[in-house]
Amino acid sequence: MPLFRSEFLRARSRRLVPMVIIGGLLAIVIGLTIAAVNSSPPSQATLDQAQARYDQQFQRCMSGKYLGPRGQLPAGFASLEEFCKQNTTQYLGDIGMQLRDLPEILQGISTFVILLGALLGASLGGADWTNNTFTTLLTWEPRRIKVLLTRALVVVLVAFAVTIALQAIFSAFFWLGASTRGTTAFTPSGLWSVAGQTMLRTATVATAFALIALSIAMIGRSTVSSLGALVGYLILFEAVIAGFRPSIQGWLLVRAGIVVVSQTPILDYGRNVSYSGSNYPESTVLLSVARADAVVGIYVVVLFVLALVIFRRRDVS
Amino acid sequence: MAVIEIEGLRKEYTKLRGGRTVALQGLDLSVPTGGVFGFLGPNGAGKTTTIRCLLGLVRPSQGRMSLLGADVQHDLPKVIARVGSIVEAPAMFPRFSGRRNLQILARIHGEGETAIDAALDRVGLADRAGDLVKTYSLGMKQRLAIAATLLRDPALLILDEPANGLDPAGIVEVRELVRSLGAEGRTIFISSHILSEVQQTADHVAIVAKGRLITSGPVGEVLTTGGRGLLVKVADLQAARRVLTEAQIPAVPAGAALKVDVPTEQAERISRTLAEAGLFVTELRPDEVDLETVFLELTKDQGVGD
Repeated sequence: MPLFRSEFLRARSRRLVPMVIIGGLLAIVIGLTIAAVNSSPPSQATLDQAQARYDQQFQRCMSGKYLGPRGQLPAGFASLEEFCKQNTTQYLGDIGMQLRDLPEILQGISTFVILLGALLGASLGGADWTNNTFTTLLTWEPRRIKVLLTRALVVVLVAFAVTIALQAIFSAFFWLGASTRGTTAFTPSGLWSVAGQTMLRTATVATAFALIALSIAMIGRSTVSSLGALVGYLILFEAVIAGFRPSIQGWLLVRAGIVVVSQTPILDYGRNVSYSGSNYPESTVLLSVARADAVVGIYVVVLFVLALVIFRRRDVS
Repeated sequence: MAVIEIEGLRKEYTKLRGGRTVALQGLDLSVPTGGVFGFLGPNGAGKTTTIRCLLGLVRPSQGRMSLLGADVQHDLPKVIARVGSIVEAPAMFPRFSGRRNLQILARIHGEGETAIDAALDRVGLADRAGDLVKTYSLGMKQRLAIAATLLRDPALLILDEPANGLDPAGIVEVRELVRSLGAEGRTIFISSHILSEVQQTADHVAIVAKGRLITSGPVGEVLTTGGRGLLVKVADLQAARRVLTEAQIPAVPAGAALKVDVPTEQAERISRTLAEAGLFVTELRPDEVDLETVFLELTKDQGVGD
């Protein structure tokens, strides 16, 4: 517990933590202010027209018109109603900021939130190497496994708390914007529950990325190496090289993170099936939600165990 | 009882491009309890590697070490709270205040603000405790690092080159601090290549070169290492020289005295020989050289400064 208090104070004292919070808040305020300025509250007539368009398209969907050639429900949807609710909202048209879009927008900003998590993890793991203060720390607590486990716990708590807080603030500002410069009409009853779950999933993935960044920082012994390796891997390997190898797509971190946040599996439309004399693409699940959870977990566990082993054995000089 | 015991310590580093660097090759060392112990050696002699091994920062390739009676490899956590240390340059977070740096360390062992205030006061940094460490001079950083070691009220202090890079005022500050800490009954293990510093503060010294112990013992003993002879003062130097030469004792003038090239244990023989000839000694003392001369002589075949 004393080591935890020390590590927590160390993390709290890092300039990066308030910088991330303030930077995130600024981005939220600026982004939502722009959105609010470009939005105007719809009139009742506009809302009525939108409702009519939506109802019509929803009924069409429920009659199966938007399904595939064999009427099969796409993977990831439990019922036709769920599928239709998700796929007919665009027919509401442009009625300004809509509170009902919050879960989707939270998914949209999840990349930014997850990167903030990675930044926190890299900094909290690498700063001691950069300042050479690991030497000092280890002359106070030589049990290295305990040191790294405690630090990981602090990183988990800080990354989760910061990312969940930023999303909560974003949601509050979004509600304010939609209430004053858009509409809260068409908001489904479970919106806040869905939004809350999206926030939790995003914060969880951000925390996983923070642990991955911490592990790489411990292996590479610097914040820069951690961020460099992580960004290099994600951009060069996952985005470019892996694009040529579809067989490994189900093992990629970014895709797994997206699936965890969105709870929508990645489908492979590569295979064509013949139906009534025509060829149609058939979808198969490339990365299911359960597998995505496992992939993110495997990355975290493998890298963290590797960091533990290396940190325990390696000379600190 | 020895606070530090090292037997056959060996450390090899594997180079990235193959091959090995041997930093320590079978070092033996025993540091007695209490006082200031100077650990001397040229750059690259293995001083810092020895300290890193003692503190568990570096894994030795071979050998046995104990700190305050505990085996370093297995029981270091049991005694670490009684050991304060600074390895190489004082490592603190430059963008935290001095007090915040100490708070982070103090919490590890559950020490509170009282211990921090006392430590800051002790090193004369109480009035600058709220300033960022990056605004401190090197001497102040060194004192802050010493304050950190004092938070635990350690029985053993290990200071690696504490005067390195300091200006004369900083050297004096640190020297006086080390002296006062040593006078409190703690054992201060201080590594340095600044010999004049160690000579002024240490009670015992050990000299290492190329990862091996060259000599060790009380400072006075080490200064006379190699039987450098005696200095004799009498009223009539010419007569004394003649008498000693006749007694087969080689003597040469050395300023206002005669330098007699015999082991110091033969002081009584010199005194007796001269007295029998009616020449009475007014001063008889070992021909002590400074530590620097001894150090250079003992390490001259060991590649000083490599």
